[in-house]
Amino acid sequence: MNPTPKSILRLSGGVFTLSVLRLTDASVKTLQAELAAQGSALRLVEGAAVVLDLTDIDPSLSLPYTEWLETLREAGCFPIGVRNVSDEQAEAAAALGLPHLRGSDAKIATAPSNVPLVTHAAAGSVFSQPLRSGQRQYARGGDLVCLGAVNAGAEVLADGHVHVYGPLRGRALAGVQGDESARIFCQRLEAELVAIAGVYMTLDAEHPLWGKAAQVSLDGEHLHIIALEN
Amino acid sequence: MAQTVVVTSGKGGVGKTTTSAAFASGLAQRGYRTVVIDFDVGLRNLDLVMGCERRVVYDFINVIHGEARLQQALIRDKMLENLYILPTSQTRDKDALTTEGVARVMEELQTQFDYIVCDSPAGIESGALRALYHADAAIVVTNPEVSSVRDSDRILGILAARSKRAEEGAEPIREHLLLTRYAPKRVQGGEMLSLDDVQELLRIPLLGVIPESEIILQASNQGIPAIHMQGSDVALAYEDVVARFLGEERPLRFVQPEKTGFFKRLFGG
Repeated sequence: MNPTPKSILRLSGGVFTLSVLRLTDASVKTLQAELAAQGSALRLVEGAAVVLDLTDIDPSLSLPYTEWLETLREAGCFPIGVRNVSDEQAEAAAALGLPHLRGSDAKIATAPSNVPLVTHAAAGSVFSQPLRSGQRQYARGGDLVCLGAVNAGAEVLADGHVHVYGPLRGRALAGVQGDESARIFCQRLEAELVAIAGVYMTLDAEHPLWGKAAQVSLDGEHLHIIALEN
Repeated sequence: MAQTVVVTSGKGGVGKTTTSAAFASGLAQRGYRTVVIDFDVGLRNLDLVMGCERRVVYDFINVIHGEARLQQALIRDKMLENLYILPTSQTRDKDALTTEGVARVMEELQTQFDYIVCDSPAGIESGALRALYHADAAIVVTNPEVSSVRDSDRILGILAARSKRAEEGAEPIREHLLLTRYAPKRVQGGEMLSLDDVQELLRIPLLGVIPESEIILQASNQGIPAIHMQGSDVALAYEDVVARFLGEERPLRFVQPEKTGFFKRLFGG
């Protein structure tokens, strides 16, 4: 019997952060003039894939996609899809290989970092080494346990709880996918910032529990920090 | 096999080059064949501190690019016969340090020396990454102030993640803390972080404390590594550093403010 030929295709998922370029005018001429005028501002997205956001453009218009693509590629950015378009506009875009993307807006733009030291930890990960300035650990789908210190400038994130048994001096974010029941536990609260399900708070040495063992929980829209009793 | 030691810090101006020169000289004084390499391409300084700037013909970058042989670029120290300096180029930039080129030079040095001391540039860009990549041990130079401590912390994270040892899953780099420009009086006055504060924040073994001193400036202006400034507390402190690095026990000195004597107090010394 012949062995079944192996497929060369592998399908898997991935999450990517993309820049969104919002066009407020459909005219190609205006776009070209604008690009020429503020070329340096666009250098930020040079070489990057962008999604064209057409919220501000009349949904009944037939759009000059071919010219847009040419102009934008010349300027060094690569449109890979469109969003907020009418069905007709989406169809025309699809014909040119630009899919219609339906995603929600990111509320906060994250600044690109030169030397990312982000590690995605498996759920329930335990770290025995101190986390140092510039390091980030994210426990996707579970809790994160750090046995050593989380130093100033370091960041720990978890979909579930965050436990820090050394001093917590950096940032700790629990329930980052929106779990409001997530909590942060630490032996020494000296954090720059704590957050649960997107509700955050910055701290300083004035805080009554500064340097103490504490837990942080979320009640509605307020973070509560209470002492950890032995 | 030579041991490779990187002298690094993240922050600039904390004393990396001064330490590299003094530490390499100290190892050579004890009879180890030692080479000290300047990784700060474009801001060539080590040759000045070692007092050999007029003898630089070929440099590290020439060797990497195959324009000179290693033996042509190595400069023998004027005071110690088993110490060599591999200077860098002032006219090129950090991109001239290719990964393969550095690896080749390091391999060649391995066979000729006992210790390779790498003087890292400041920052966390390619130059600093190349300098620490081959390290077996690291001396993290830190000043007793918060921004220096923060940058040292960052470098420690990079040492643990981006070195050859980390990539190969080998035993991690041995980390040593060296506190420089320490002024016990100002610590007492609360103007500077104390030794305990810094250790509490960084949590790595202490290799030594170098006191703040005029002598350092004099030494580098004259092109003499500070360890040769006989009788000075800086020289003694660097000798202790070398001894501790080699596994000897030495008590800490120069961490308490000088006691003002009775007569000095009386006559306002």
